[in-house]
Amino acid sequence: MTITSNLESQPQALEDLVVIDLTDDKGMYMGKMMADMGARVTVVEPPSGHPARHIGPFYQDKPDPNNSLLFWYHNTNKESVTLDITTGRGAQILKEMVKKADVLLESFAPGYLDSLGLGYEELSGINPRLVMTSLTPFGQTGPYRDMKASDLVSMAMGGIMASCGYDHIEDAPPIASDGRMGYATGCNFGVMGTMTAVVYRDFTGQGQWVDVSIHEALSCTTEAAMPNWFFDRKVPIRQTGRHHGLTPTPSTQFTSSDGKLVNGFDIPPRSLDRWNRMVNWMDENEMAEGLKDEKYRELISQGVRSGPEMDFLRERIEDFIASQPADSSYHGGQQIRLAWAVIRSPEENLEDEHFRDDRGFFPEVEHPELGKSFAYPGHPAMFSKTPWRMRRRAPLLGEDNERVLSQEMGLSPSEMVLLRESRVI
Amino acid sequence: MAKPLPLEGIRVLDFTHIVAGPQCTRILGDLGAQIIKVEQGQAMDVTRSAALGGIGGIPGVNRSGMFEYFNRNKLSITINALMPAGLDLIKKLVSVSDIVIENFSSRVLERWGLSYEEQCELKPDIIYVSITGFGHIGRLRDYSTWGPTAQALSGLTYMSGLPDERPAGWGYSFLDHTAGYNAAIATLMAIHHRNRTGEGQWLDVSQVESGMVLTGPAVLDYTANGRPYRRPGNPMGNRSSHPRVAPHNAYRCAGEDEIVAGEPRQRWCVISIATEDDWQKFCKAIGSPAWTADARFATNADRVANEDELDRLIEEWTKDKMPHEVMHRLQSAGVAAGAVQTNEDKVVRDPQLRSREFIQKVPHREVEESFETDSLPFKFSHTEHRVRQGSPPLGSDTDFILTEVLGLSEGEIAEMAEQAVF
Repeated sequence: MTITSNLESQPQALEDLVVIDLTDDKGMYMGKMMADMGARVTVVEPPSGHPARHIGPFYQDKPDPNNSLLFWYHNTNKESVTLDITTGRGAQILKEMVKKADVLLESFAPGYLDSLGLGYEELSGINPRLVMTSLTPFGQTGPYRDMKASDLVSMAMGGIMASCGYDHIEDAPPIASDGRMGYATGCNFGVMGTMTAVVYRDFTGQGQWVDVSIHEALSCTTEAAMPNWFFDRKVPIRQTGRHHGLTPTPSTQFTSSDGKLVNGFDIPPRSLDRWNRMVNWMDENEMAEGLKDEKYRELISQGVRSGPEMDFLRERIEDFIASQPADSSYHGGQQIRLAWAVIRSPEENLEDEHFRDDRGFFPEVEHPELGKSFAYPGHPAMFSKTPWRMRRRAPLLGEDNERVLSQEMGLSPSEMVLLRESRVI
Repeated sequence: MAKPLPLEGIRVLDFTHIVAGPQCTRILGDLGAQIIKVEQGQAMDVTRSAALGGIGGIPGVNRSGMFEYFNRNKLSITINALMPAGLDLIKKLVSVSDIVIENFSSRVLERWGLSYEEQCELKPDIIYVSITGFGHIGRLRDYSTWGPTAQALSGLTYMSGLPDERPAGWGYSFLDHTAGYNAAIATLMAIHHRNRTGEGQWLDVSQVESGMVLTGPAVLDYTANGRPYRRPGNPMGNRSSHPRVAPHNAYRCAGEDEIVAGEPRQRWCVISIATEDDWQKFCKAIGSPAWTADARFATNADRVANEDELDRLIEEWTKDKMPHEVMHRLQSAGVAAGAVQTNEDKVVRDPQLRSREFIQKVPHREVEESFETDSLPFKFSHTEHRVRQGSPPLGSDTDFILTEVLGLSEGEIAEMAEQAVF
């Protein structure tokens, strides 16, 4: 069985869904995931532009509402309508759009849409089938609901940072990854909550409100840390590039001859079979001297993991990794079923034939206004019947005003002029 | 009155193990789907392993905290898939399930005669979800990953760290969680498609791609601007690269007299200033010390240019205060700040998580005690999710599944038992 992705003739899983996307830079990944799967997602943004349009990096390093790469990536396949929903007419137009929408996504501070008369009570009165998803740093309720956050604050409070950092640098701070991983994790749950509500609506016809907390999304994304407390009342320590632990474990980052790092695993291998293959592999490179000793085979079969012999084997494998380019260790290790990897920078995957050619992970997305196309990362799952697809680059600011507002909603030409002049659109 | 569970009536046949797969079925189970976890006596989920210890210091396959955490609300049946009668039983279960989820290496189900096409013969609208490092499709389908492997390849490890140091990466399998989230999302999308069209499908989830999709702007900076992410000074630790604003960092606080693994544990907080207004509020909240009026910190551009000195001065203020004290002092002035919370903090001193019942209690099915756990990070107006019962002791629901789900007779069950199918 093969999955042939992106065949134009194939349907898309969410092609029946109409989504209004009112989110800011916290929540825009939700709508992207749905748009890439076929939903019609309309970004309703202030005439000054969505907040992410003002955050870099920018195309050719020129700040401009249509040049933000952060916005480009998170708004593929969406359309853009500018609308000032804080004005009476703007709110009225949004309510008109809600009548025909299946889903509304938003990430304003709790209570803000209510203050505009656009809260869930109001909107569900207009359209009881509406699924409305509100993504906020702490959720709609509780003593922290009005606290201020950023991706960094969410990564701190959710417990991510307590587990990430260094043990080989004395007194190093806990580290939050670059790349807005807190928001992304909140958005993953936001889409999950939204799709759950959509599925429930399939069964019952009932819409509902989904209240998603980024703080909670991160608080359940720390693997063993929570069970460590729930069951053992213990706090793990941070370690460089490897699992937090209740006790220290050996390093897993190894230097290679080309300066890149290898992420090693299971060193020396726990299974005798893999150990034998490891020795053969090193032997082929004339680096196995002394390692064929029966003593080591015995210790490994006995499951010994520490002590001078294991330290010695670890050093020898470290020397071996250091003697060759990182890619040789990565592929060589995988050939003998060791889950080794090279530590890549994101752009270094563009040349990976498995992802690029076999899985079509890096489609070229056309930017007609620039006369260019650029490779974009795709989607984390291949669907055999309803593939993800890059139909269109992120919209220019207000690119779809004319089609959506005047052609589809029937606003008159004179009103369009008036709204434009009064900066409602 | 309890609200309905949104996925009630959906049945999932669950061959997953460790974290990535169980994370996905944990979510579907919390939402009300019936999760039938198939294990084998000899090849049970290794998170049951005694090597991980056991609740109360007593090891045992039914006493692992890690297993409990990822497998509540599920049912367990033991089936030996190496025996023809065992495989027959698995096929019977496929024929009455909505969804099959597995995270074996990429050829296991094929070997069992349960490729997607073969599953369709048993259940035409089956939704089959495979979760692996590289996906089942492509030349590297046989490569294997753990969380850190996938993180290293995807670029995520590289994106986390101090400038000009080795990557700090992630201190756990973030991509086990995230692959599980993507699998749950894909499954829900496929259920929606099935609800509309009657058509099932195969979803091939890749753990490495689950990381690669989180690197979009960095990849575009390369494909559109030619600027590689791998460059001196990158990443920038906890400082903000886009937008380039300061102060934005982690700061030392007063430590507790707490010893972890032989080392005193340093406590930290973070402060995140985005606008000029934030900066003014911040200066006032810390008592407007003289340096805040210094010309070196007058504008954001100045603060960025003198960030090392700025961070040093801020730390002078934070270092004799507890992280939650810093957080509340600054938050009450409207400034984004947070304690770097440990697992203990989240459970013991986070009134927000308590107030939303994110931390719940669940009775253990083997140990006669209830334990706390965390739940799903969203609330519904018309439905709910629930931690209904603890994780299943190995094989504890075999009889229920054979009689109630499959409707097998006592005779049929006895015959299988004789052949050591369970």
